[in-house]
Amino acid sequence: MQNVMALVLSGGGGERLGVLSAERAVSALPFGGKYRVIDFSLSNCCHSGIDRVGVLAQHAPASLNDHIGAGRPWDLDRRGGGVVILQPYQTRSHAGWYRGTADAITQNWDYLEERRPERVLVLSGDHVYRMDYRALFLAHEQRGASVTMAVTRVPADQSRRFGMVTTDKGGRVRTIEEKPERSTSQSANMGVYVFEFDVLGEMLRTRPVDLVLDVLRPLVDAGERVYAHEFGGYWEDVGTVASYYRASMELVRPEARFQLHDARWPILTRDEERPAALVSDAAEIEDSLIANGCRIDGTVRRSILFPGVRVAAGAVVSDAVVLADTRIEADSRVERAILDKYVRVGEGAVVGDGDEPGPLELNWLGGLVLVGKDTWIPPGGRVQRPASLGVGGRYEDFVQGVVTPGTIVPNRRWFEELR
Amino acid sequence: MSSGRYAFILAGGVGSRLCLLSERRAKPAVPFGGKYRIIDFTLSNCVNSGIFDIGVLTQYRPTSLNQHIGIGRPWDLDRSRGGVQLLQPTPGASQSDWYQGTADAIYQNLLHLKRRRVDEVLILSGDHIYKMDYNILYGFHRANRALMTVAVTEVPEKDVNQFGILETGPNGRVTAFKEKPRGPVTSRLASMGVYLFDRDALIRWLVEDAGRSDSTHDFGKDILPRLVERGEGVFAYRFPDYWQDVGTLDSYYDANLAFLSAEPPLDLHDPNWVIHTQSADRPPVRVEHGARVRHSMMANGCRVAGEVTNSVLFPGVDVAPGAVIRDSIVMHDTVIGPGAIIEKAILDKDVVIGSGARIGFGTEMSPNRACPEHLSSGLVLVGKRARVPGGITIGRNARIGASVTEDDFTAPVPSGGVVDGPESMH
Repeated sequence: MQNVMALVLSGGGGERLGVLSAERAVSALPFGGKYRVIDFSLSNCCHSGIDRVGVLAQHAPASLNDHIGAGRPWDLDRRGGGVVILQPYQTRSHAGWYRGTADAITQNWDYLEERRPERVLVLSGDHVYRMDYRALFLAHEQRGASVTMAVTRVPADQSRRFGMVTTDKGGRVRTIEEKPERSTSQSANMGVYVFEFDVLGEMLRTRPVDLVLDVLRPLVDAGERVYAHEFGGYWEDVGTVASYYRASMELVRPEARFQLHDARWPILTRDEERPAALVSDAAEIEDSLIANGCRIDGTVRRSILFPGVRVAAGAVVSDAVVLADTRIEADSRVERAILDKYVRVGEGAVVGDGDEPGPLELNWLGGLVLVGKDTWIPPGGRVQRPASLGVGGRYEDFVQGVVTPGTIVPNRRWFEELR
Repeated sequence: MSSGRYAFILAGGVGSRLCLLSERRAKPAVPFGGKYRIIDFTLSNCVNSGIFDIGVLTQYRPTSLNQHIGIGRPWDLDRSRGGVQLLQPTPGASQSDWYQGTADAIYQNLLHLKRRRVDEVLILSGDHIYKMDYNILYGFHRANRALMTVAVTEVPEKDVNQFGILETGPNGRVTAFKEKPRGPVTSRLASMGVYLFDRDALIRWLVEDAGRSDSTHDFGKDILPRLVERGEGVFAYRFPDYWQDVGTLDSYYDANLAFLSAEPPLDLHDPNWVIHTQSADRPPVRVEHGARVRHSMMANGCRVAGEVTNSVLFPGVDVAPGAVIRDSIVMHDTVIGPGAIIEKAILDKDVVIGSGARIGFGTEMSPNRACPEHLSSGLVLVGKRARVPGGITIGRNARIGASVTEDDFTAPVPSGGVVDGPESMH
């Protein structure tokens, strides 16, 4: 699409993802056995014919820079347009971190003004969905809208997780409530917007911070033509541990509502050069996703294994998400856990046992065990759920070989080991 | 290290002993090892050894190779200087149009060599599975002040008649050479088809050879024996590691399945020696409820609901519930219908096996009627895009041609049987 520029908001530090986002932006979070979350939005852009994309990144952008590079996997390595990562920067007159979604766009408005698209598509880097944005643009044009926001139907009892949108019969937005306890509407704001360039530019002059509170709501209140467009497909915001885990497990359900296998709308990503997965004689695998480079000698059920994961003989991995190059040694057990990259689960160790609900303030863990990057779980060690082990965890973090329910082990820094 | 190196890769091989697999593609383009093509090993050896200037000589069915190599991106060969160039014979370029033999292929492309300021030129074959650091070969060559160095590997006694066999003196100097010797031999050192030449000597020798009417213009048959006979400075470098010529269906089959063992012949996971290849955007393998996968390899994009044992699945293979695959190699995007049973077969790309079909059925072992010399060990071969009807049985050593359709099957295919499609005519 000639006159569109997409902006992917990827600034979020994702505090609610705990150690998973300790050293990466949420949008760079690995998802689905080989992807990063932002791949879904970028692939949607690519398949919808949008070839100008800006990624607004503030938190740990190195992981994103590495991943996106010149944008080749999405055919976004263009001479004109393509993908660019827009980070906070300093000028003589200001040095500003992004204060919010609207502020991030404002700080990069010069970049957009130079390119002068007719419309701006605002996306979020932490959503898992397949969406043809052309349908959204069509609806936007047909209604002559200033802004069109995509909405999705959610169960009434979920309203406090979302921005709820009420409309009139013609789809025109009347109210937007942020995370209400109760709502008369079942339409949740997906965080996917089409703006007329001039309308957005005008609003940014007021130096808004938040896109919903300071831009969309005032536009609705002022009677601007803000419309809602209902999206019927699968959509999940994976910005919390619980939703990340839920979306992951959805992929391995027998009748999954969201399938990565779809040749018509493949999810594009940077390729890891790994050989095919190798499965030995003693292995058992069911209801799982197994990426290239894995070697499996043990049992894997209802789990997602990223590239290069090794599951040794006698080990059992169930209901787990295991990121790249993690090693699960012989006769260990991993269940209801998310293990980040380069984790080592020692021989005979047990990760994620127990059924204690844990303290209320750890509800965000969703009853899981989270294990940060590069953590070593000693042979025979036990990590009871819910618990979170920080980045670079070591033997000293275990009390007599056990991490008890409700424990949060803080991140270690690599340089501490040098002391 | 990367400056001043140039390699030719001979990739014109017809690979006739691979039968259907190389009917429509050059041998170097034949899929191997769950996701690679045979030539990936040689190309990766080049770039991993710091050689980034490569000419690939094609002749037979180059389309799939052209597509695979493209501008060479997976190997970091998309370069402003050097990179990879596909050298297809051009009419009227010199005396003869098609490449007559391996030496003629290089001779017709001497222009590319003359343009380059290199002291040596490496000549490789795109047909072999191995990991080799060519720097060691260069070091050996220079230390010996050789004019030609041939990499050799020890082969079993029973196989010597399939290779060019060299005899060497104490310091590695080649004293005798016999191409595919009959009868007893005193050496089991086989030429790997990896040659390092002094550039000027090579040019001189190729020009000389081109003028000889008694020559077939082949390195193995003509150049090498002649040089050895003359006592030129030809040395043999003994390569100690795994090297496999997958020239026959049986060796191709065995070499693929060897990668399923706990100690595979080559470490494909080695981050310091990655085998690069063109790869498509495919999701991780989805192993469904009720599936059983044992002792197998499966690449991204596969979906397995049935049973897979001792087999290699290339990207995008779909195994329906109740289907069974044993001791087989299944290439890209082939679909195995519900309840089908595949035993000891090689299924090429985009094959569709109807539900309940049985492939590799029975114990009868009559050799294949059309190619008895290549298809007699019990292996069934199914060509690219063939559609096999549901419920049918196909005996061992059968050959099902590329692009056959359900209508081409009139009855069960017996052991050694042949079903040809419309396209085998040309």
